[in-house]
Amino acid sequence: MQRRQLLKSTVAFSAATVLSAPAIAQTPKKISFLTWNLVHLEAQIKGWIQGFTSTRPGVEVEWIDKKGPEVPVYYATQLAAGTPPDIVDIQGALGLEYAAQGALVDLTPRFAAEAAIKGRYDPDYLSNWVFEGKSYMVPYYVSKTLLFWNKTRFKEADLDKPPANFDEILAAADKIKGGDKTGMLTLNFDWLYWPLMMMNGVDLLSKDLKTPTFKTAKAEEVVAKLAAATKSGAINSISWTGRWVEPNEAFATGNVGMLQAHAPAFFWIKGNGPWINGETLGAAQMPGDWATPNSHGLGISKGSKQPDLAWDFVKYLTDSDVAMQFSRVASVLTGNKAVDQAILAKFEKDDPLAFQVLKTQVEHTDKMCGNWRLGNDSRVKDAFWPEFQSAMLGRKDAKTALADAERRVLRELKRA
Amino acid sequence: MTSWYQRKRTRELALVACFLAPALSIFFLYRLLPLGWNVLLSFQSWSPLKAATWIGVDHYEEMLLDDDVFWDALTNTLIFIGCSPIAIALALAIALLVNSDLRGAAIYRTIVFLSYPLMTVAVGIIWRWLYDERGGFFNYVMRSSGVIDQPVKFLQSFDWALPCVIAADFWQVLGFYMIILLTGLQSIPQHLYEAARVDGVPAGARFWRITLPLLRPSIFLCIVVGILNSFTSFDLVYVMTNGGPGHATELLITYIYKAGFGQSRFDYAAALTVVQFLLLVVLTMLANKLSGGNAGSLER
Repeated sequence: MQRRQLLKSTVAFSAATVLSAPAIAQTPKKISFLTWNLVHLEAQIKGWIQGFTSTRPGVEVEWIDKKGPEVPVYYATQLAAGTPPDIVDIQGALGLEYAAQGALVDLTPRFAAEAAIKGRYDPDYLSNWVFEGKSYMVPYYVSKTLLFWNKTRFKEADLDKPPANFDEILAAADKIKGGDKTGMLTLNFDWLYWPLMMMNGVDLLSKDLKTPTFKTAKAEEVVAKLAAATKSGAINSISWTGRWVEPNEAFATGNVGMLQAHAPAFFWIKGNGPWINGETLGAAQMPGDWATPNSHGLGISKGSKQPDLAWDFVKYLTDSDVAMQFSRVASVLTGNKAVDQAILAKFEKDDPLAFQVLKTQVEHTDKMCGNWRLGNDSRVKDAFWPEFQSAMLGRKDAKTALADAERRVLRELKRA
Repeated sequence: MTSWYQRKRTRELALVACFLAPALSIFFLYRLLPLGWNVLLSFQSWSPLKAATWIGVDHYEEMLLDDDVFWDALTNTLIFIGCSPIAIALALAIALLVNSDLRGAAIYRTIVFLSYPLMTVAVGIIWRWLYDERGGFFNYVMRSSGVIDQPVKFLQSFDWALPCVIAADFWQVLGFYMIILLTGLQSIPQHLYEAARVDGVPAGARFWRITLPLLRPSIFLCIVVGILNSFTSFDLVYVMTNGGPGHATELLITYIYKAGFGQSRFDYAAALTVVQFLLLVVLTMLANKLSGGNAGSLER
């Protein structure tokens, strides 16, 4: 009898403890924030999180940082597990792919309700993450390609200004090449080489994004010229084989005349090229002012249990105060017009060369290319790139490569 | 008597089952269940945010009839496997050398084996720099000695990239093959060689008639490891070439990764995995058959 009583008492006590727990303890509101290779800003990010949570009792923000190649893998596995981070920092067109898959919250109503937030941004950068008429990301830090030119190599080749069109690029590259020197390099990932096509009027797809438009006589001519320049050494073949380190490193040696890359490359090459200063390096728009963006945006996962809190955090991170601090420590532009103007003014005074580079990022933003709003951008890219690369490295002639690329791109478009 | 025996046997079986249960449940949870789910997934259309729908053999149809990259990756994987006998032959030669009375054999053995415990990522980085066009060791030596004027673009060439990756793989696994074969060599009874010598059997015949047949289990193991290695050389390829240029060094395993995590096509990646698994089973069975069955065992 006693044993039964003891058992009853134990069960009753346990039940009371368990049931009363939620009433006693405040359940904290917790959100998670996934960043893309920003671990070097640990102190600052933790400080911003502290600033956010200090005015919101009971709110916790978990910060997760992953290196670039790990982010898509991590996010995909978290989506599959049903536990995606609430706020995600995503680079380039990947945001559109997640949007197309239904992973991200449509921010259009939030932008509509808070016009001031939308008004902060350069509309061209903001529009990079508009998919089927809906906005999915807020710009976090923005960049687009430009042309870096080595003034010493240009002077040696009797050239005094950056090229004004495609043929001038090839001619300058040809004059600079010789021995260990090559005329030009370009980054190739995420369509960063596309300005070379666009300045010749060659686009990848029709306006409705349903038909390939690159198999033309002009495109064949452009591809053939690029391949010939690569074969002759005027264009460094690392342009078509390296990703980030290799081409930037090659340019940093000082043996290459031109580099087409986005603004973050500047700080990398400056750190690795002791020859770089205002007298030796120039920064200009590519001919026709064409540029391919490669920006980072902040999105909110549809699986977030605290979407309003996540939106608050996104607004907090991108408001002028925090964005300004971020812009200063990371030497980036944010797409926030006021912040970018202020940071450019600072650079103009402190570092004129960096100013020259960053200024290109806010000019001619209406001439961005290679940013087709596709929900399957990576598949189209994987269909086009190997064929283009085959032509550049002399494995296929331009006509065959473009025909094969068209067949493969068309197949991906049909699968979408 | 019978019922006592049956009770005892049941108790024993229950005990055995208890001991086996943890291992079997882990095997079921982490091997059989994912494998089964993977096979099921390969017949479905699924993404992390989309409910699965049955699509039959669509993925396999696409793979076989409409996917050039799959065929490139399959061909490269088979070339990778096809080259492993070369590495095994090389390892056998080294094993024979260090098994002989060669002075400093133990040192050579250690040197050859040293590459094996290295992390594959580290091996990939080392070899990538060895092949580098500008500052790479091979180009430096060849240019310094006047063999070439212009650097060879080893990893940027459609023709050279795959052989270069295979050579790096050889370098890493050679030590492992050598140790396996050396163990096999040392387990061959010496009296067989002594009897052959007494009978005046020449060295070549001793190798073909005694050494090679008795090394069969070791060679079988090396072949199986070679096949597995070809299917799992993801890190080496990823670090050295990422499957490029084009898809010149794409293996099935790197393509599976790209399909799954690069293109978010987990269902299609599952179908590719099934094909890789079947290929692995068929090749292992073939290797088993070629080595005389029963995993090359000498006992009948």
